[in-house]
Amino acid sequence: MFDLEKAIGDWRQRMLAAGIKTPVPLEELEIHLREEIERQMKSGLSGQKAFEISVRQIGQPETLKSEFKKIGTPVEMQKIIKLAGIVCVVVALFCPLFLFLPLLLAPELSLTAKMLGLAVYTVTVTAVVLSWRYNHKLLPVIRNQPLRRAVGIVCYGACLLWIRFGIFHFSPGGSHPRTILLPLFIFGLEWMVVAFLGGVGYGLEKAAHRQNTLVNE
Amino acid sequence: MIRKELVAASAEPLILSLLAKGESYGYAIIQEVKARSGGKLQWTDGMLYPVLHRMERRGLIKSRWGESETGRKRKYYSLKKDGKTAMVRHQEQWSLVHGVLSGLRKEQHV
Repeated sequence: MFDLEKAIGDWRQRMLAAGIKTPVPLEELEIHLREEIERQMKSGLSGQKAFEISVRQIGQPETLKSEFKKIGTPVEMQKIIKLAGIVCVVVALFCPLFLFLPLLLAPELSLTAKMLGLAVYTVTVTAVVLSWRYNHKLLPVIRNQPLRRAVGIVCYGACLLWIRFGIFHFSPGGSHPRTILLPLFIFGLEWMVVAFLGGVGYGLEKAAHRQNTLVNE
Repeated sequence: MIRKELVAASAEPLILSLLAKGESYGYAIIQEVKARSGGKLQWTDGMLYPVLHRMERRGLIKSRWGESETGRKRKYYSLKKDGKTAMVRHQEQWSLVHGVLSGLRKEQHV
């Protein structure tokens, strides 16, 4: 006696053995298989015949595996890489702000000094936003996915190292208004390095994505 | 039957054009393509999913899990903004090819 559920279970095992191990494609394929079996059975075929036809139509496990393999980096991984870039830029924009604001509100600073401080922050933000918006047009398209991912990870790693060993060796302060502006400017530039590195990681993904879209259109 | 190279090349524009009508799922996409082509455009069913996943990775379409009216789980796909742009470009290119072929065929009959 033909057992449809057992047959589908066996088919699933064959798919797993062939290497379709990620849950989403396999689940989608199984749902598709079940829908096709149901349609075939409604048209009058036996369960066994409907199963055989449906399995044949869905394709050989090895062929499907090789097609899925061509897809490359899962969407989730690509999102993580891009998200890391966004985090770098957000950190680079907001961390100096928390430092600049109290200094700008300090009563002992003259208006000129405050305006210069504000200008430093504005330059930092503008540079970050512009590099964020346009860097993918200037960056090379790295088609090799593992290499592109490695460059991105190195950029984010460099960001962390820069924050740990580059930025916090120096914290602008001091009580004299005249001595604070140069350190403040340097501090702004230091955060721009973080934004730049994060922008490179993100921009490489975006450049590759745009190129990929154009090539396939 | 249509050659497999042409079937493969037409997969993306067909999927994009079908999804432009509204969200859909793998099985329904295949059935609609079969029906509209009178069964002449036949995909190996399982091959649709790598294509859908690739298009999703390229940001042309997006997906969500939902349920059919009978409670069966389904993954629904819908078009994204980049997908609409890609669809328009595909349609222009296919129209161009069609136009050239039609022109040449007319000349042969003259």
